[in-house]
Amino acid sequence: MKKNKIIMTIIVGLMCLVLFTVMFMQFKTIEETDITAIENMRESELRTAISEWKTKYEETNTKLEETQKSINEYKSKLDKNEEASELVDQELQESNMLLGKTDVYGEGVVVTLSDNEQQKIKASDLIVLINELKYGGAEAISINDIRITNDTEIAFIDNSYIIIGSEQRISSPYVVKAIGNITYLSSVLSLKDSGFIDKYTSSGKTVSFETRKRIDILKYSGDMSTKYINIEEEK
Amino acid sequence: MNKKQISITLGLMCMILTVSIFIQIKTIWRANTTVSQSFTENGLRDEVLKWKEKYDNAYYELGKAEDELKEVRESASQDDATSLAKQEQIKENNILLGLTEVKGQGIKITLTDNKASSNDLMSMVNPSSRIVHNNDLLEIVNALKNADAEAISINGQRIVSTTAITCEGTVIKVNGQKISSPFEIKAIGSQALFSGSLTMPGGYLEIMENDGVLVDIEYLDEVIIEKYDGVISYKYVHNND
Repeated sequence: MKKNKIIMTIIVGLMCLVLFTVMFMQFKTIEETDITAIENMRESELRTAISEWKTKYEETNTKLEETQKSINEYKSKLDKNEEASELVDQELQESNMLLGKTDVYGEGVVVTLSDNEQQKIKASDLIVLINELKYGGAEAISINDIRITNDTEIAFIDNSYIIIGSEQRISSPYVVKAIGNITYLSSVLSLKDSGFIDKYTSSGKTVSFETRKRIDILKYSGDMSTKYINIEEEK
Repeated sequence: MNKKQISITLGLMCMILTVSIFIQIKTIWRANTTVSQSFTENGLRDEVLKWKEKYDNAYYELGKAEDELKEVRESASQDDATSLAKQEQIKENNILLGLTEVKGQGIKITLTDNKASSNDLMSMVNPSSRIVHNNDLLEIVNALKNADAEAISINGQRIVSTTAITCEGTVIKVNGQKISSPFEIKAIGSQALFSGSLTMPGGYLEIMENDGVLVDIEYLDEVIIEKYDGVISYKYVHNND
């Protein structure tokens, strides 16, 4: 009788042990399937990749259509033996616009950064802001009415004042204007926590933001020539 | 007494079994969603490839159309001096815009994330300082512009007026394209100015090197910088005339 009891206890104990082991194994599996979070992220990453390629494709396609249209315009002028200078003018105007050599207007946003008692605005703040604006699709940008082109640099001299474009000194408040899609621009800038406005306001800097239906940006009037570039002469 | 004990153990075992069965069910349910997820993922991957291919095709077509446009433009304005001058201007503009492959004397900077563990106290405290961040690239591009760089590219991505250098999680994107360490920054311009503004003591590259990033600088007589592989077109900007 006593022997039986001992055997029973051992069996029950063993069963419990087996069950617990199985349970722990299960828990481990569940922990592993938590990786689905990463899997999810991949999915959303893929979705952004799709929309990015789609946008690039659409842009390229529009440009392709435009180019073909101008080819046809030139051809019809050629057929009729007419002057083509008007078309060349148009193309030149367009490419000057892309470079920032024309006065432009359009919808957009205005971000104003100003020095306060605790924090001075630095050149790197403006560099980051301009990068964010470009990320939001800004097409033309100016700081204190000085046009920012691809060659414009922003420098911080002696840790005390900011110059842009080699010689123009600017001071607070820094009014940064950008033309582009208002919705994109404002959503990029006002992302919670990681967006420019939240990040800089919470670090104690004075940032104000507004959207405008019409923003005027002046042209870049400086010299844009190159000295060191040799063009690959085309075949 | 003996009977009571047995029923208690049996009850306990039943409970444990029920719990583990529930856990089982939950696990299986999760595993199933993982399977279906990787199914949708494969679909999405296909779609990414599809759009990329469409883009590549359109981009190739665009290249051909642009060549053709240049030809007809030339033949249309052959005997017109002002038009010829304007054509030159358009060509010049395309160089400035980054739509042409260019070469010239310049600099090549290679920045590599320092992954090797070191005993340096600073880097042990802050390992992230040994990694290249998007803000570092922004500062270097700005410094190159400050030294009058005429063309800049990072890992083959030309820096144009619409280029953003962003950081998404652990990935750096330039022109929307993912790039990763080693970062190869090429620039055309005066080597004297580059060495003055970048490699001087206390300059940004020295700061990065002290932080533990591997920095390699080469001055080259011929740097080739690829053209921008996208399209610059404006939708919201209007000419004011």
